[in-house]
Amino acid sequence: MATPMIELDRVAKHYGNQAAVADVSFVIEKGEFIALMGPSGCGKTTTLRMIAGLDEPSSGEIRLWGRRLNEDAPWERDAPLVWQSYALFPFMSVRKNVEFGLKQRRLPAPERRKKADEWMERLGIAGFAERGVDQLSGGQRQRVALARALALEPEMLLLDEPLSALDPHLRVRMQSELVRLHRELGITFICVTHSHSEAFAMADRVVIMNEGRIQQIGAPRDIHRRAANRFVAEFVGGNNIFTGTARVDEDGSIALAGPVGTVHAPAPSDGGIVTGAAATLVVPADRIELAAESTGAGNEVQARVVTVEFVGSTVTVFLETEGGGELRAQRSLHEMENTPLAVGQPVVARWSPQQGFFLPS
Amino acid sequence: MSEPLPTPDTGPAPLAATSRRAAGARFAVFWGAPPALWQAAFFLVPLGFLVAMTFWSVKNFRLTPDATLANWMFILNAGFFRSAYVYTFWLAALTAVIASLAAFPAAYTLAYKVSPATRRFMIFMLVVPFFTSYPVRIYSTQIFFSPQGIINTVLVPLGLGPLQVLNTPTGTVVGYLVLTLPLVVLLQTFALANVPRILIEAAHNLGCGRFRTIWSVIIPSARIGLIVAGTFAFVLAFGDYVAPTYLGGSRPPTLSILIADQVKSGNNWPRASVVAVMMIVTLMVVMLVMIGLAYGRRKERA
Repeated sequence: MATPMIELDRVAKHYGNQAAVADVSFVIEKGEFIALMGPSGCGKTTTLRMIAGLDEPSSGEIRLWGRRLNEDAPWERDAPLVWQSYALFPFMSVRKNVEFGLKQRRLPAPERRKKADEWMERLGIAGFAERGVDQLSGGQRQRVALARALALEPEMLLLDEPLSALDPHLRVRMQSELVRLHRELGITFICVTHSHSEAFAMADRVVIMNEGRIQQIGAPRDIHRRAANRFVAEFVGGNNIFTGTARVDEDGSIALAGPVGTVHAPAPSDGGIVTGAAATLVVPADRIELAAESTGAGNEVQARVVTVEFVGSTVTVFLETEGGGELRAQRSLHEMENTPLAVGQPVVARWSPQQGFFLPS
Repeated sequence: MSEPLPTPDTGPAPLAATSRRAAGARFAVFWGAPPALWQAAFFLVPLGFLVAMTFWSVKNFRLTPDATLANWMFILNAGFFRSAYVYTFWLAALTAVIASLAAFPAAYTLAYKVSPATRRFMIFMLVVPFFTSYPVRIYSTQIFFSPQGIINTVLVPLGLGPLQVLNTPTGTVVGYLVLTLPLVVLLQTFALANVPRILIEAAHNLGCGRFRTIWSVIIPSARIGLIVAGTFAFVLAFGDYVAPTYLGGSRPPTLSILIADQVKSGNNWPRASVVAVMMIVTLMVVMLVMIGLAYGRRKERA
């Protein structure tokens, strides 16, 4: 097998007896857009900082193209970072900031100037070149930070919560701009974020972390469709999670008696669920249809509408079953307009058994 | 970061807000007044008196109110004043530079390289010298450098001495450093500790090694504090009387010694006042220049 670009091999970082990162192993291929995602304190930022060399692993090894990187000083690495708070040098002009890294590489002044011009042009900040960074807006500062990092033409770019400090409308624009930059440059992007919508919108693969450990690695789509455990199912959101008692049917599928009544789903490929055992079933909210009447096909649950939440162009409908169980369904705004739902209205929530999956017990 | 907030124009401020602001102003005046009065009584008034006295004259060893420029003409034209002025300015500037350079590695270590507990302890240790009065410290320094003192006792058998420090300009500078160095280390430590850590990390991240980071990021970021520290050293040294008297042997005299001489020999308070006013004006100019240097916009851009 070819050597991957970056390998983290059983990497841990302890502060006293506190483990910021407990045990993390994964590989990053050249040109990937990787998102490290998780709640605050999950170790994602520490992992990023260890790749940059700003923190040293307590144990384990970080390799770049197969070479151990642990002892390399940050200034010996080629891993520029874009900070959430930008970390621009306030005593320098925009141009000086962008040229800073090039100057450290002893690039002659005319070339430095040319490269900085190119990157400022590319990121739309050429007009501010001679200004002080304190005269810029948040969005402009971010572009300076990006230009400063990318001017080095590195083989990887590290981003720490790059969108968190931006206004919502800028966030969406910057998100697509980062994706575009990644595609055009073909270099590896490693991005830390606590937002699953950002991670899923931008990354080729997402590394979900919690309490210093990796919970799941995969393409956004796979994580959405097959959460590896309860933490992931809850963290990525938009999932119904039912815990109940399993019964293995004659055809091998499993019936789960839980808070929303008895529902069916295929048995997990690794087996492991026996009649009478407790099991946890996940049904993505966007796979649940809402109908006025029962058709008798698939899983059907009688419920009443509790609240309707509009988020952008999707609508989350919160339901309550007769037995008091909670259920959520996601609909498009379009659907919602065609068949409006009123609070208190009785509906049938329906989904095909194939859409549900059991979490490993 | 500091986005300019849009200030909604709501017309005249509501009455409640106005009276709250007035109450806030009263509060500030109430607590601000005592120190302001103190300064007026014990700084501004004597300063005014000092300036006034430069125009008085001395008749038969008696101070007489007058309106003469004779004292100014005499002092400003006196060779001994001019050379003392240059000498004092030069030694004070030298002290500021030496103290700043000598303090920096210590301040850097305290700010970045030691644990918070060690830093607290060391900061405490830097305050300790101020527990004993400054002349006492200068006397003990005198003992250190005396021909039979510790330093020469060690150096002479090694063939390196005797070291002649007492009664030389070097002695004066040593005394100035005794006075200023702990303070400069303290001020520099605070200045360096306030440099955002993230800027240092950003510099490292962009390929800037440890020493280059000091020069290209840490010093520019801590500029104000570093200049203030050096300026403090200059101000303290420029006006000091103890070190040039007991370690420098009064020769050549500094401005503070000139003042004492004018008063002691001939009771010439007006001439002493001229020297004092010249010192105050000098310090003000130096302060203004240094503040301009510290807060001024950098001129080099692009």
